[in-house]
Amino acid sequence: MKRYLARRLLLLVPVLAGVSIIIFMVLHLSPGDPVEIMLGAQATQEDRLRLRADLGLDQPLHVQYVRWLGHVVQGDLGRSLWMKRPVLAEVLLRFKATLILTGTALLLSTTVGLALGVASATRPNSLLDRVSAMASLFGASMPSFWLGIVLMVVFALQLGWLPASGMYAPYGGGDLPDLLAHLILPAITLAAASVTIIARLTRATMLETLGQDYIRTARAKGVVERAVVLRHGLGNALIPIVTVIGVQAGYLLGGAVLTETVFAWPGVGTLMVQGILARDFPLVQGCVLVVALSFVLINLAVDLLYAWLDPRIRYE
Amino acid sequence: MILTMWLVLLTVILGIGLPSAAAQPAGTLVVGLVAEPVNLDPAQVTDLNSNRVGRRIVETLVTFPDESTQVVPGLAESWTVSRDGLRYTFKLRRNVHFHDGTPFNAEAVKDSIERQINAEHPFHKLGKYPFANYFFGNVKAVEVVDAATVEFVLKEPRASFLAVLTAGAASIVSPTAVKKLGTDYALSPVGTGPFKYASWERGQRVVLEKNPTYWRFPVKLERVVYRPIVEDQARLTELLTGALDLIVGTPPDYVGQLESNPKVTLLKQVGAHVWYLGINNQKKPFDDKRVRQALNYAVNKEAIVRDVLKGTGSLSAGPVLPKTWGADAGLKPYPYDPERARKLLAEAGVPNGFSTTLWVPESGSGMQSPVAMSTVIQSNLKAVGVNVALQTMEWGAYLAKLRSKEQELFALSWMAGNEDPDMVMYPLLHSSQWTPNGPNRALYKNEKFDELLHQARLTTDDKKRADLYRQAQRILVDDAPWIFVDHEIQTAAHVKRVQGFKLHPSFDLRVETISLK
Repeated sequence: MKRYLARRLLLLVPVLAGVSIIIFMVLHLSPGDPVEIMLGAQATQEDRLRLRADLGLDQPLHVQYVRWLGHVVQGDLGRSLWMKRPVLAEVLLRFKATLILTGTALLLSTTVGLALGVASATRPNSLLDRVSAMASLFGASMPSFWLGIVLMVVFALQLGWLPASGMYAPYGGGDLPDLLAHLILPAITLAAASVTIIARLTRATMLETLGQDYIRTARAKGVVERAVVLRHGLGNALIPIVTVIGVQAGYLLGGAVLTETVFAWPGVGTLMVQGILARDFPLVQGCVLVVALSFVLINLAVDLLYAWLDPRIRYE
Repeated sequence: MILTMWLVLLTVILGIGLPSAAAQPAGTLVVGLVAEPVNLDPAQVTDLNSNRVGRRIVETLVTFPDESTQVVPGLAESWTVSRDGLRYTFKLRRNVHFHDGTPFNAEAVKDSIERQINAEHPFHKLGKYPFANYFFGNVKAVEVVDAATVEFVLKEPRASFLAVLTAGAASIVSPTAVKKLGTDYALSPVGTGPFKYASWERGQRVVLEKNPTYWRFPVKLERVVYRPIVEDQARLTELLTGALDLIVGTPPDYVGQLESNPKVTLLKQVGAHVWYLGINNQKKPFDDKRVRQALNYAVNKEAIVRDVLKGTGSLSAGPVLPKTWGADAGLKPYPYDPERARKLLAEAGVPNGFSTTLWVPESGSGMQSPVAMSTVIQSNLKAVGVNVALQTMEWGAYLAKLRSKEQELFALSWMAGNEDPDMVMYPLLHSSQWTPNGPNRALYKNEKFDELLHQARLTTDDKKRADLYRQAQRILVDDAPWIFVDHEIQTAAHVKRVQGFKLHPSFDLRVETISLK
């Protein structure tokens, strides 16, 4: 187990190196450069060349990359070209907000998805099953920015129940109820698509599991239906579901960019969008690296969960 | 386990009760910005949002009154200009202090400008100064005569130099603060303005507190909170629910909705701005004046302003804002006349029209609704036989591409910050400013026009200067180096408790005039 963990953690290095090379290339090869945006339309060619040299952007790409990597290895993600602040501190600060949002969305999609899936599977073709199938189709086909705006118009503008955007009240506030009130709409928006995926998969796997011999045996032995469904049924159906939840966690982290933009949520997604528009290379690289790292760690956590859920699985 | 977590969460929510989107604490104004400021040192930024916040903190030697962009005293009480136009001597206001207690004096003025242009200055390395060459390239030295007198020595005369000194880049900063904060100065600047920097939570808000000893007038607000909200609908909802007091840059489609809403007041004010469709004057067939005039006749500007911009633009007859001192009142916008356009094209030897490409940025500061506006232009031009392929680009990529000189038609805008014709005509149309050395991306060149602009820079008599600019504008309209489209009418909306707010033609956002009911 320990060796397995060590091996997996070691694998992080090539994965992150690969991610960083790809993002570095994509950023530097896409048209437009940070100097253009920093200096504006009135700048002279001389101004631009000087700033390019100051920022080291006139060096060949591989030299720039190696220099950047050299700093990263020492835990220094550089300074944002644009905000002039250390990237690492900035990204971690914003990552906290993203974690709160995606964590809540994941909790929401998992509980609702599991509950819906199990309920549909135990009463296939019932009204609940059909409604849930319909709702799923709806949930999966709605783009999150659209759903977000609809929720905002209904619950903030029309009903006035919830604040429309931000993470805390503009001034004062800052306590837990304030945070929760601001969290509800973006979390629902972000969770919508995942709920349906988890619900559909849970339903399918549960239907299959509930048709197994050991379920019939359990029922024949007189085990209460609740225990049959939850312990014998769900317990054994969990492996594929956990896999999907793991994938969804990653998807939510990435999908947070749109939701954060719609709701002015101060997370790493809005930071990344600002960074991309300003061609702030170190900042975007920092954001992507942190998101990629958490994606890989989530996957690792899912793999470790398997062993706990199914004692037959052993890592050698 | 997850279920119990949810139950706990629910109980917390229900138990404590949700805070409603209540009004702000007394004296607190909450402003919605379309994007987060980059930093708050106006000498180091080029974007509107940063300037709108930063200029509450720092001030300039000369400034504008609340309704126009004519130069009036600011931190300088008075000034004299030497007869040769090379020396500007300013008498500074006494007993003004920066927010950190440092006295405002001639040394501070010298440091504020020299940090940008003098590579040897100890502050030079602490920032990037995008306007150093553009605004102060002509400054030979800033000399301290005595504590309350400072003199700018120019390399060559520039009659618009006072207008230059109203720019954010000419703000006077506290030298003590720059010394102390280094590069971080840009994040928490210290000036003499009506508000002082209080805090900045990235992605959430910038908070400014009132300067209780502001030299000009007692500030009525306690503090201003700026929130960046990119999504238009979110900004609008926050305003209508009272969570925001003031928003600027309302998208045209929301103008009608805001106008008819009894909870808010919508303000409009034409700004020192021009939106134009640049034409590459060096490329065939655009090197023929008649072709460029034809394009101007072919475009239905009224329809663009009415239907796309919903009235948030005023027709343009040239780069200079109408009804300002340098404008030629006799100039009329090109009328919409497709018949005449076809005739001119035939005269120019392209009776069957031609095909061309129009580059358009998806968005950008001052670009209004670039894609929708360009689409109307595209269909107008098709009607006279000019087939236009529309190519949209992201702003950063677009700016870089415009340096290639390969553009044929391109949509662009310019905010001069004030009404001095020199601030818009010279950079955009003088031949010394051809891209990549300057912002003349239409590659326009007319020697007579160049000479008039040059003469105007040397002329200190405002009447004579205005006359030179009028001649230049007449040449320009005839040469038609661009399709002249519109000047933006800025919009802002505020809730009823906001009193005494006016939009400023310079696009500045002067919240210091506000009191809350």
